[in-house]
Amino acid sequence: MIIEIGHFALVLALAFACLQVILPTVGLLKGSFSLAQLSRPMLWAQFFWTVVAFAILMNAFVVDDFSVKYVANNSNTELPTMFKMSAVWGAHEGSLLLWALILSGWSVAVSILSRRIPSEVLNHILIILGLISVGFLLFLLLTSNPFERLDVIPAQGRELNPLLQDFGLIIHPPMLYMGYVGLAIPFAFVLSSLIRGQLDSTWLRWSRPWTLVAWSFLTFGIVLGSWWAYYELGWGGWWFWDPVENASFMPWLVATALVHSLSVSEKRGAFKHWTVLLAIAGFSLSLLGTFLVRSGILTSVHSFAADPERGLFILIFLILVIGSSLVLYAWRASLMKSQNAFAWWSKESGLLINNILLVAAMLSVFLGTLYPLLLDSLGLGKISVGAPYFDAVFVPIMIPAVLVMVIAPFLRWKKDTLIRSSSVLKPVWFVIAILFAVSFWLVDNQAVLFAVFLFIWITLHSLSLLINRLRQKGNMSLSFIGMIMAHIGIAVFLLGATVTTQLGVEKDIKMEIDQPIDIKGYTFKFKGVNSFTHQNYQGHKGEVEVYFENELITSLKPEKRQYVTGMPMTEAAIDPSLTRDIYVALGESLEGDAWSLRIYYKPLIRWIWLGGLFISIGALLAAFDRRYRPSSQRAAVNRERVKS
Amino acid sequence: MNMMILIGLMLSLSLAWVVWFLKNPLADNDIDLRQSNIGLGKQRKAELQRDLEQDLIDQEQFDLALEEISSTLAIELNQSTTTVRESKPISALTWLIVIMLPIFSIGVYQSLSTYSSTVNTTTALESAPLSLEQSAEKIKQHLVDNPSDAQAWKMLGLSYFELNKIDESLQAYEKAYQLNPKDARLLVEYASTMISANDDQFTGRPVELIKQALEIEPNAPDALYLAGLFAVSMQDFNLAKGLWNKALAGLPEGSVDRQALLSILAELEREQNPKISHTVTVNVAIADEILAKRSNEDFLMVYVKSAVGRPMPIAIEKIKIKDFSGQVSLSDMNSVMPTKLLSEHDQVLVVARLSRTGGAMKQADDLQVVSDIVSVPSNPTVNLTLD
Repeated sequence: MIIEIGHFALVLALAFACLQVILPTVGLLKGSFSLAQLSRPMLWAQFFWTVVAFAILMNAFVVDDFSVKYVANNSNTELPTMFKMSAVWGAHEGSLLLWALILSGWSVAVSILSRRIPSEVLNHILIILGLISVGFLLFLLLTSNPFERLDVIPAQGRELNPLLQDFGLIIHPPMLYMGYVGLAIPFAFVLSSLIRGQLDSTWLRWSRPWTLVAWSFLTFGIVLGSWWAYYELGWGGWWFWDPVENASFMPWLVATALVHSLSVSEKRGAFKHWTVLLAIAGFSLSLLGTFLVRSGILTSVHSFAADPERGLFILIFLILVIGSSLVLYAWRASLMKSQNAFAWWSKESGLLINNILLVAAMLSVFLGTLYPLLLDSLGLGKISVGAPYFDAVFVPIMIPAVLVMVIAPFLRWKKDTLIRSSSVLKPVWFVIAILFAVSFWLVDNQAVLFAVFLFIWITLHSLSLLINRLRQKGNMSLSFIGMIMAHIGIAVFLLGATVTTQLGVEKDIKMEIDQPIDIKGYTFKFKGVNSFTHQNYQGHKGEVEVYFENELITSLKPEKRQYVTGMPMTEAAIDPSLTRDIYVALGESLEGDAWSLRIYYKPLIRWIWLGGLFISIGALLAAFDRRYRPSSQRAAVNRERVKS
Repeated sequence: MNMMILIGLMLSLSLAWVVWFLKNPLADNDIDLRQSNIGLGKQRKAELQRDLEQDLIDQEQFDLALEEISSTLAIELNQSTTTVRESKPISALTWLIVIMLPIFSIGVYQSLSTYSSTVNTTTALESAPLSLEQSAEKIKQHLVDNPSDAQAWKMLGLSYFELNKIDESLQAYEKAYQLNPKDARLLVEYASTMISANDDQFTGRPVELIKQALEIEPNAPDALYLAGLFAVSMQDFNLAKGLWNKALAGLPEGSVDRQALLSILAELEREQNPKISHTVTVNVAIADEILAKRSNEDFLMVYVKSAVGRPMPIAIEKIKIKDFSGQVSLSDMNSVMPTKLLSEHDQVLVVARLSRTGGAMKQADDLQVVSDIVSVPSNPTVNLTLD
């Protein structure tokens, strides 16, 4: 019965989402302010019932209620409680419920924390968010009901995909969804402004912190996904240009452009066209990502739900969202005309070039991801687009973007001169030239050398900016510190990604007991394999001793597991450090006591995720900048009063 | 607590919430859009002043930016309109919402819920989750009043089977079978229980039941699976393979059942064709003038690909030139995919490629040589020269 209560709670959430749209809309059309003010209470009720539904589904997992089809398909009594709870979002229906929950959670946060936004603007924003909620709750209830019962109750459930029985799964999807769904907030701000016909300072100022928080979560979610794939999938890779990875990367690229574009629009009133389009594109790409993953049109490790009917629903929703947004955009285009011109050599130009490059990079990923699907669906053959395409197309676009990224903060708004800016930058370039010359002698791999150059380029420019600001005893706002941190994060990521790709060693070898194998100065000794049994799997655990200069530094114990449902899994053993990872995965049993093993040496691989973490934290810092706090606006007004 | 009472409580709570806010609408937060934009304009000016003081901009830029802020503000103030923002109780819609909310919620729930049908057949399961014993007991109680409920008899059979009460399970399945002999799923479960009771022997009635199930649903994966097991018991491995491959078509990609069946098929394949491991030995000679132009860090990739069909490598060895001894041996250990071993191929081509990047795609400056067709079962030695 409790399951039916969960189902009914979801229906009530839908009812309140509808009321969140209908009542305030009627209020706005009829000029009834009281009715328009109902948007918040209706949203809070929607959130409450979604939480109830979510809690009931989670409880069903914890108590092994296999009368629920979704529970029976994704959990069993042997599963540890922690994974039973995270199994809620381990497959399609629960993921969508999490989507709806996070969307209503974000909306509630906007309704409570946006104290400096006029009520009428907030009501418009909540109507848009309510419409998106209606779409997703309808999708859940009509095509993906997580509370569907089984006629015949199995004594035991199936198994949560063993790949997903991991700490990474507990946090990766919620973080990624926080980012995906968070992009609905700038989208709602933009649409409400377009509807009101007032593309003013208010929406620009107050939508930026929300965008920064969403971007931070999206970055963190992608980083977690990459880290999870590295240690869990047993391939030792960190990015595969998998279509589902690309589906999260495309909104990230657009969100990156959006936070920069918003900064220009907010401070200088320029780029309004860009900002509006990027906000629409960011959320549309989030929906596209959901469509790609959930429609089953992709063949990848992520396609856990293959159902064309669901895909069709999201596709129609996507078309409605993009179509109506673009119609609104076209209708209000005249309002976005900016009177604020800027010269070709100015901060605005630098940011514009970066934005264009980021969007071009996104389009290259978009093409590489969707073109094969398009060809396939038109019956024109199957092609595979992988790393060679992205290396050849995406990387060259991003190189100038990275170079310009750190120059733009040195330029002045509106108009600058080459002479002034180069005189400021000359000392930095001089130090860069010296450090690069030293690197030239130390590094003989060309790609690594170039990555070292980019690392020095970004880091020194960023540090120089910081030192200049300190020297001038200038404003060390959280926004500024966040920017420096995020830019250094890009440098750290670039170096880590290039070094690990270029200088990493991957060996698939047969190992006899006690036979030493030397890789990059480390000696590996295979000590044999033991069988073991765990709560919901059994398997083999190998032992590999790792020596450096004849000294034992670690003993790695990779596992090969057989889950209760018969699904095999490889659990790699990793000796991590900031300078390198040693990664050992157990292969197959060969003749005698020999086994095949995969041994990887991965220099600087941790830098990839460290860089991502820097970007994510930098974005969060910027979001909490003083000027986004209500008190800041009051302070500015008071200062003005005192002056006058 | 009865479900209807709970639903009633949920609806009452929801209605009370709506009615409360209709009668007591939220007050305005006293922020006017004009005032908001004016405040932001002032904040911008203050920021601009700070930039000037910190020498981030010069006076000329300051003046220009100040002018822009003023003109932007003027445009914004011109666009904004003042609206009446008085909160007063709303009574007009109250009754409409009080009527519509329950109708909408119950209507949507009724049309989507599968609960009612479950209740009809298995009222006993209302308070899931139950232990298996409790579940069986409740189904039995249900059957006292509904002795012709085939679905409930089937569930009772399954519950007894899970409780290892095989005799009781068979009796319950027999009852279900008498009531509904056209339920393919029931036939498979019944047959499966009989086979378990008979020490996994496929004789007599279970085989008949499987045949009946396949007549009703020729593509039922579980029936095909059992039929395959029967074929194995008859030593007809090819028939078993055929049936299981047919069953695979009905199992979703990535499902656990599919994975399990694929493992069984692979095991059967191994049993039928014991693996013979072959090796292809490749001697690669690289001309000195080429070596002189190349870095020691360049890669030598030696791989085997099928002589016909897809050009994907079957087995590959990638080594740096500095580590290369002149000979490479390719065996099943080097196979790219564990399901497509080198030894399973017959006619292949051997390729040696010198590459700067070691990437999978051939680059413009890669050097490559391809052998004639060689036969893997003969454990060949191939000599290749890169010149």
